[in-house]
Amino acid sequence: MAEPYLVVEHLTKVYERGHVVALKDVSFEVQKGEFLVIIGLSGSGKSTLLRCINRLIEPTKGRIFIDGVEITRLSPRQMRRFRRKIGMIFQHFNLIKRATVMTNVLTGRLGYNPTWKTLLGLFPRSDRELALRNLERVGLLEKAYVRADELSGGQQQRVGIARALMQQPELLLADEPVSALDPATSHSVMQYIEQMNREDGVTVLASLHFLSLARRYGTRIIALKDGELVFDGAPEEIDDRKFKEIYGEEAEEVEIR
Amino acid sequence: MTIYSTFKTDPARLRRRLLALLLDWMSWGYVAYGVMYFLNDYWWRIPLERFYTTLTLPPWGWPAAVLGTLAMAILCELTGYSLGERALKLEVKEERPLTKEEFLMGRAAGKPFWRTQWGVMAVLLLALTVALGWHIVKIDLEALFRPSRRAREMLGEIFPPDFRYFLVPDPAFELRGVPYSILNLMVITVFMALLATVLGAAVALPLSFFGARNIMGFSPVGWLVYGVVRGFFNVFRSIETMLWAVVFAIWIRWGSPLAGIMALTIHTIAALGKLYSEQVEGIDPGPVEAVVAAGGSRLEVIRYAVLPQVVPSFWAFTLYRWDINVRMSTVIALVGGGGIGDMLFYYKNEGEWALLGAVVATIVAVVWAMDYLSGRLRERIV
Amino acid sequence: MAPRYPEAFVHEKPEWTVWNRIADFLYFGLGNLRKHLSIALLDMGGIAILWILTSYVIIRLSTGEIGYTLVPWWAFGLGVAEAAALWESFGRSFGHRVARVELRRVDGGDPALHQRFAYWLLWHVSVLPLVGLLFSPPLHERASGLALRPFTMEGRTPKPWWRTSTGIYVAWLMGVALLAAISVTISWEDLVRLFTRAGTTAKFWRSFFSPDTSIILKTVRALIVTVFMAMTATAFAVMVAVPLSFLAARNLMRGLIGRSIYTVIRVTMSIIRSIEPVVWAIFFLVWVRVELAPFAGMLALFVHSVSDLTKLYAERLESIDPGLIEAITATGANRLQVLRYAVIPQIVNPYISFTLYRWDINIRMATVVGVVGGGGIGQALFFYLKGNLWTQAGTVMLFIIALVWAIDYLSARLRAKLA
Ligand SMILES: Nc1ncnc2c1ncn2[C@@H]1O[C@H](COP(=O)(O)OP(=O)(O)OP(=O)(O)O)[C@@H](O)[C@H]1O
Ligand SMILES: [Mg+2]
Repeated sequence: MAEPYLVVEHLTKVYERGHVVALKDVSFEVQKGEFLVIIGLSGSGKSTLLRCINRLIEPTKGRIFIDGVEITRLSPRQMRRFRRKIGMIFQHFNLIKRATVMTNVLTGRLGYNPTWKTLLGLFPRSDRELALRNLERVGLLEKAYVRADELSGGQQQRVGIARALMQQPELLLADEPVSALDPATSHSVMQYIEQMNREDGVTVLASLHFLSLARRYGTRIIALKDGELVFDGAPEEIDDRKFKEIYGEEAEEVEIR
Repeated sequence: MTIYSTFKTDPARLRRRLLALLLDWMSWGYVAYGVMYFLNDYWWRIPLERFYTTLTLPPWGWPAAVLGTLAMAILCELTGYSLGERALKLEVKEERPLTKEEFLMGRAAGKPFWRTQWGVMAVLLLALTVALGWHIVKIDLEALFRPSRRAREMLGEIFPPDFRYFLVPDPAFELRGVPYSILNLMVITVFMALLATVLGAAVALPLSFFGARNIMGFSPVGWLVYGVVRGFFNVFRSIETMLWAVVFAIWIRWGSPLAGIMALTIHTIAALGKLYSEQVEGIDPGPVEAVVAAGGSRLEVIRYAVLPQVVPSFWAFTLYRWDINVRMSTVIALVGGGGIGDMLFYYKNEGEWALLGAVVATIVAVVWAMDYLSGRLRERIV
Repeated sequence: MAPRYPEAFVHEKPEWTVWNRIADFLYFGLGNLRKHLSIALLDMGGIAILWILTSYVIIRLSTGEIGYTLVPWWAFGLGVAEAAALWESFGRSFGHRVARVELRRVDGGDPALHQRFAYWLLWHVSVLPLVGLLFSPPLHERASGLALRPFTMEGRTPKPWWRTSTGIYVAWLMGVALLAAISVTISWEDLVRLFTRAGTTAKFWRSFFSPDTSIILKTVRALIVTVFMAMTATAFAVMVAVPLSFLAARNLMRGLIGRSIYTVIRVTMSIIRSIEPVVWAIFFLVWVRVELAPFAGMLALFVHSVSDLTKLYAERLESIDPGLIEAITATGANRLQVLRYAVIPQIVNPYISFTLYRWDINIRMATVVGVVGGGGIGQALFFYLKGNLWTQAGTVMLFIIALVWAIDYLSARLRAKLA
């Protein structure tokens, strides 16, 4: 088997305040080009895991390798450079609400441009062209100069995707990208992410709440329960028993189409 | 030409346009004022004190100034974005389709503000204000950084403060024949604030319902009562507590705590009344409908649908007001309102800086404690 | 007393040193101490205030003097502590209510009387010397078989709070506080004057309808000075307060040095804010020459505005959405870029809005500051009042009201636009 793209070894995260163990000794590997879905109950540590991978949160113990680089050893400065290759999209989109869509998308290039220029809002022509291309790709070209808070939820998430695309990432972290959206919009957003995965070969790690979405889009699923890895396998392997194990005895599967 | 086309089309827009023009005119008038001011100061050498009374303009000067500024304003309107247009959100976007290049470089989002004319105007006005302010207020950095001998004396004495009279009354300081200690006066001051807040809130509470549009309904009587109550709130609110204290100090007597309490109370009624009634106007109409549907009278509506919704914010506003009243009551003595301010100004006049320091320190401690307390309570309530 | 460390930690770190134990004891012990002590202090403070106010009323009404305790200070201290102990042991005290806890048996049942009694006796040896509180649970709780549990309404019939001991406390407190306040601030003669001498102000009100036209130009001049005092003070205050606010925001100032800077700035600012601009004006009038009255007034407003704006700005900074910061950081942006693209867009409008609000306040304050000699229209008013020139004073007041009203309206409109 080829060298795995992402390796997580014995990852543990303890939040000092409240003494919560959000992740307990989690280890797994991800091959290049995989679409890995993370499932688990609320509070099981999905967000924490994703944020540890680009070190928005500092892990307490354990090591993480991306493409052979041990990112848990990088200095803050090196980590910033490394983050350019890791795109991220969020449950609540996290856009600059008062700025135009164009500005929001261009922030994806912050890491590639000199600081003084970006502080003045000057981005090179090539970046602007790229931004328009990416907006076209997510079907929002006409909205380029509309304020971000004037868009609907689904459109805002697509702006988030365009922002991640600007980084020309190798890895995409998606933290519940569709939880705030209705079912139909969810699928359209998930399809853009799938497209990134298929066409650009971006490795995707997405946390999802709905098992049906996970089965439909994931090539592999891992499940967390109270910070522990309780399942790692193909989507088809999750049967009723497994489901109850992950979500608890009383859980009932909900379909989303 | 843009003006002409809008003249024809839309009367509401026309009104806004005229308003925008007025704003521009006023801002240019301000610029003209500034220019005159500096001409007076530097060129004609007329003492500033006389500038406003002896108007050094030739007879044609006034019409010229008025027409000149008007012309500038119209010019602004015609050439591009003016400050007034911008303020009223009237800017005219170009209708022609953008070229690809313009679209790419963000032309559609508008120019960055410093390159538009209204931006230039805004910066100009700001700079003018600071420059004018510098002269009118007589800012003198030398005086600030090279303090007088008296100031150095004061600094030398004020630290450490002298708490000799914190518990023991100061025999030299008497109010109507009774000597007071700092503690005693401070307690009285806090009591003044307490009484004013309680009285003010007690009056403002019922009044606020008469000042709420949704409670008063739309009958002529309702309108009248609403108008009178709201008018009362607005007028009395814009008369500062200190000015009220002046009135009551004449009325009752100079230095009477009652004068201070009355002043604080009146302002509290007006300020709280406005806040309360705005809160009442902002309630969720759902519960009101429910009570009305169940056959409730107007009083029952207030009791069961309105009060439960507004009580927490009423408390928060009252606590906030309590805070303000404590601060105010410490200095209201300045205009004859009584309280610890009497001692403060007495020591200041006597030049007893060390004792003054103790008074100020006490005020700081009490105001700070009350601020903290009311802040914590408000956090809990909301 | 096993510290409740997460399993993973205990698992990975078996080598417990003595120092670890001491550190744990202090960490958990001090947390416990803080919690219990704050309850005890609240109760004792509450009772002390009640006692003082009651004595104040009694002394005031019986002798006309001012006094605070009726009994010697040591007796007062003992009484307060004892009352607090009784309240905490045999009822649900004010402190319990604030901390949202109640006294229950360890197994969750209602405490028996003898347990409460034991709790009360042990309270003295455990809470007063403080050592008992270092343990978790505290010694007196452990020995009496009781514990402070989070309060629940489960299985109870609701009882309105005003019919509990706290209700009695609050009613009593309000009663004596009002009595004390009235007894010391309001004298009978003053009250009589309030109702009989309203006529003395008639001249004053009349001038509102027939203002003295001869002083209008002079008044306008003073008005302009006042407006510019407020404007320059606000403008300069913004320049200082904006950078300061970043240093005074808890979420931006991390680490030991950051926290110390934060604390120093916050404390300084709250002290400065506690001193009214009028007092600052007195100070600055001595500092700069008296001929520079408007400058001194401006400085007073400036100092007060800086502290107020810093607080308002910093609080706004503390409540910004951390999600956007995460998002921009995740693109590989550095600190400055995060500031520019994640922080500033979120604060521009609130900052402008706060500034307008402060400008409005400064206009009001500028009129008041003038009264102590800080220049502008307030000084004019004071001049006429001192000379008993009621008509002129009324005219000046008319101008002040008009100005304040106009600025209030303008600033409210502008702020509504920004929101
Ligand atoms: N900043 C923090 N400080 C302390 N504890 C935290 C913090 N962030 C998260 N936690 C805790 O860590 C655990 C895992 O949280 P996390 O947000 O990773 O869960 P999640 O699986 O993403 O849940 P959700 O589906 O609700 O988003 C939770 O118990 C949570 O309370
Ligand atoms: Mg999450």
